[in-house]
Amino acid sequence: MKRTGVFVCHCGINIAGTVDVKKAAKELSKHKGVVHSEDYVYMCSDPGQNLILDAIKEKKLDNVVIACCSPTLHETTFRNASKSAGLNEFQCEIANIREQCSWVHKDMDKATEKAIKITKSAVEKVRRNESLEPISIPVTRRALVIGGGIAGIQSALDLANTGYEVILVERSPSIGGHMIQLSETFPTLDCSQCILTPKMVEVSKHSNIKLMTSSEIQEISGYVGNFKAKILKKPTYVDADKCTLCDECTKVCPVVVSNEFDLGLTGRRAIYIPFPQAIPATYTLDISACPGLLPIACGKCADVCEPGAIDFDMKPEIIEEEVGAIIVASGFDLYEKEMMGEYGYGKYPDVLDGLQFERLLSASGPTMGKVLRPSDHKEPKEVVFIQCAGSRDPELHCPYCSKICCMYTAKHAMLYKHHVHDGQAYIFYIDIRSGGKGYEEFVQRAVEEDGVLYLRGKVSKIFEEKGKIKVWGVDTLAGKDIEIDADMVVLATAMRPSEGAEELAKKLKIALDKDGFLSEAHPKLRPVESVTSGMFLAGAAQAPKDIPEAVAQASGAAAKAIAILSQERLFHAPTVAKVNVNLCTGCGMCVDVCPYDSLSLKDGKVEVNEVLCEGCGTCSATCLRAAIQIRNLTPLQVSEMIKVSLGG
Amino acid sequence: MVNLEDLKNEAHKLLKEGTVKYIIGYERGTNGLLPIPAFIKNPEDVERLIWDPTCVFNLTRFLVDEKRRKASEKEPDERPVGVIVKGCDSRALVVLLQEKFINRDDVYILGVSCEEAGVLDEKKLAKTLKGKKAKNIEFTKNDNFVVMTEDGKTEISAKEILAERCLECKANFPVIYDILLGEKVKRKSDKPFGSLEKFESLSKEERWTFWKEQLDKCIRCYACRSVCPMCYCDECVADTINFAVTADTTAEEKAQKIKWAEKSPVTSENFVYHLVRAIHLAGRCIDCGECERVCPLDIPLRLLNKKLEKEAKELFDYEVGFDPDQPSLVSSFKDEDPEDFIR
Repeated sequence: MKRTGVFVCHCGINIAGTVDVKKAAKELSKHKGVVHSEDYVYMCSDPGQNLILDAIKEKKLDNVVIACCSPTLHETTFRNASKSAGLNEFQCEIANIREQCSWVHKDMDKATEKAIKITKSAVEKVRRNESLEPISIPVTRRALVIGGGIAGIQSALDLANTGYEVILVERSPSIGGHMIQLSETFPTLDCSQCILTPKMVEVSKHSNIKLMTSSEIQEISGYVGNFKAKILKKPTYVDADKCTLCDECTKVCPVVVSNEFDLGLTGRRAIYIPFPQAIPATYTLDISACPGLLPIACGKCADVCEPGAIDFDMKPEIIEEEVGAIIVASGFDLYEKEMMGEYGYGKYPDVLDGLQFERLLSASGPTMGKVLRPSDHKEPKEVVFIQCAGSRDPELHCPYCSKICCMYTAKHAMLYKHHVHDGQAYIFYIDIRSGGKGYEEFVQRAVEEDGVLYLRGKVSKIFEEKGKIKVWGVDTLAGKDIEIDADMVVLATAMRPSEGAEELAKKLKIALDKDGFLSEAHPKLRPVESVTSGMFLAGAAQAPKDIPEAVAQASGAAAKAIAILSQERLFHAPTVAKVNVNLCTGCGMCVDVCPYDSLSLKDGKVEVNEVLCEGCGTCSATCLRAAIQIRNLTPLQVSEMIKVSLGG
Repeated sequence: MVNLEDLKNEAHKLLKEGTVKYIIGYERGTNGLLPIPAFIKNPEDVERLIWDPTCVFNLTRFLVDEKRRKASEKEPDERPVGVIVKGCDSRALVVLLQEKFINRDDVYILGVSCEEAGVLDEKKLAKTLKGKKAKNIEFTKNDNFVVMTEDGKTEISAKEILAERCLECKANFPVIYDILLGEKVKRKSDKPFGSLEKFESLSKEERWTFWKEQLDKCIRCYACRSVCPMCYCDECVADTINFAVTADTTAEEKAQKIKWAEKSPVTSENFVYHLVRAIHLAGRCIDCGECERVCPLDIPLRLLNKKLEKEAKELFDYEVGFDPDQPSLVSSFKDEDPEDFIR
């Protein structure tokens, strides 16, 4: 008979407030095989751990059960403690009597009874645990960063400057993301391009960074330390090395399409450079707009290209890369304008979104930094800004706060006043959320120095009348209906996950939250890690955030990735699937269900790649023949745990 | 119409040319009209083969036994086994192929179409004939059977004596075959899940009473399991007496054996057995109805399987037994699968 020790933690009153810990410890001491049972106020404290250590040695315990909080918190603590007393770490099990018992119950008698059952079932489990050693795996010491916005750029630079090779994948023709489209940044009003372009240049020149633009992730396989990425490199039809940026090609290109960089406020040719400071600095042929790659169809650009940089025969390539860690910085998009019909967005040319207004303000923008109405190129004298356009509206739009809009709307109103001194800016708002260093002062400056009129309330209707945009709204503080004859309306539309984020998340096997942003592993303690080990999150892909937050998270993600890459070998939990070949009929159902691609069929029997297996147990639950089971969570263990919980 | 002579000729050719090692078919038994399975090796024995509405068995079950036998042979005959399958049987074969239990090259499929008819329910027939013995049965075009008894010919409506599953059949012609006999015509069937209607109208309590009554009858003879082509596991989790202990079963594996259900036929243990079996057949049962037919205590086992078949269809749009390459019900998911049952 194995000798088991039980340790019941009070967790202050977190457990002891609802569970009679003394009684639990006493009851457990009567359970078969339990030779030691005691309680203590904080088992995780040093004296608490010492109790375990001493008992293991003095009572010659074969295994221990700690009845305490969730194993996600202190399993490692107690396993390490057991290890230092000479036990195999898998001879230590946690009975969660806090999250799964004391915190969710009120009745002390019943909660105590349940805590005893939970602990007894852990005793039955640990008695049947195998002693296991971690599986050791080598590490590929390079990283993949997905997304070339400010977050991706920051992560890539941090990794590269530490000395690791980085593959930076961006699906558009240039890195820079949304930040390169902005005019000035709050709260310091420094020029966005001026602070971003040095970083972009650094990326392009860095010997440790392999930049892949116009590229998309096709498939990710593997596991922490050893991922394999298949990257689709789409043809740009222009050889970046040969292109001299002479701009002759755009002069002859007969096609004009909407320019996405200026959000449709200007046009561009089918062959184009996204913006003057684009990295890589080269032209791109937009095949969806080009009349055809054959010289017969058009071919004018190739005719005029002196260095012969245009190559119509360029083909899509699949490039395979092996990396040890992945940072996902897939960014955001603005909420679709089709969704904002009630504010006349998409209907009236002078109703803009925040990013379009950024372009109007930008010195490199369509109006060279002059604020002019798109409809008639006149200077708008009355501008209405509407915050929460799509945000904080669970019934019709997005339930969440997009976080940056309060600040950038204040910035917009301020910059507008700097351009149009005799103009008036109105801001409709629900609340002003200006938490952040220097943020509240910034908003106050807009009100006090620039005379921006803040109106607390919502806009009910926007329509065009006699060349003006009528804005009907309500000022809830004054209790008055408001009617403004505006020349321009700017909507602070919601941030949403970038297009394709869902598909990308599926390829990476990382979860999405209810709003479609990438899910972090823990909202407080693991905010840059995804649930998949070795994959980290940075920037607005995880939640709406401003530039300093995105940069901070990007550096955090890089640090987390470095923590993996800096190791020679990684260790993997040995609680993985194991096959009973005698029972396996080779039906392959487990192979189909395995979310980690760790199973395969060989000679009519299933085989486990232990390095890939995360021990989730889906295979075990699917197998009709109980031919595959998880080490230390075998059907027998589960059966005994159920039996003892039922009082048997 | 399937011509028996054509079937015999094909079988004769296959055996004579040595394409197959033997053919599993039907022959007339000694107990009245009910046939017995025939295992024919010699070409001249094909004369024993029969094909008529009494050919109820699902012969694919014997492929399971054949696989085991072959595995134990030192120098196995690698030629395929010929097997005669109806529509439903062919779907069972599809599942066996899908689960990679049977290799397509190991079987030569002689498909026979039930065309607009199906097979008989012997219990229904006995009831209709009120004690008289049938000598011969033929299907007529006007959805009737002509039954010859000692009193002469009587014409009985197909609906009265056709097996329940045939009335609900989705495809009464083989979906996979090497040779097809008969036309790919479908019987104008009743509602696909008609037999569930009465049961589904019952309240939860009534259902419990119903199943308690039914399953309490079970004597755990395991005839349902023995006849089922899907019950091919070496070791049945619902049964502790036939653990597959082989020479290389380790002590550790032996120690891991669990008694999920007691052998004694009492309510709780019978429920464990039958419910485990039903769940294990979800998305696999092709409704050959053999379990219910062989039950000596007339437990309506088909109901359980039919209910799960309906759930699979309605929840996941899953239909079993048509495509050997489709992933199985429990090992696949679609993004649009409902989640409302996860609370």
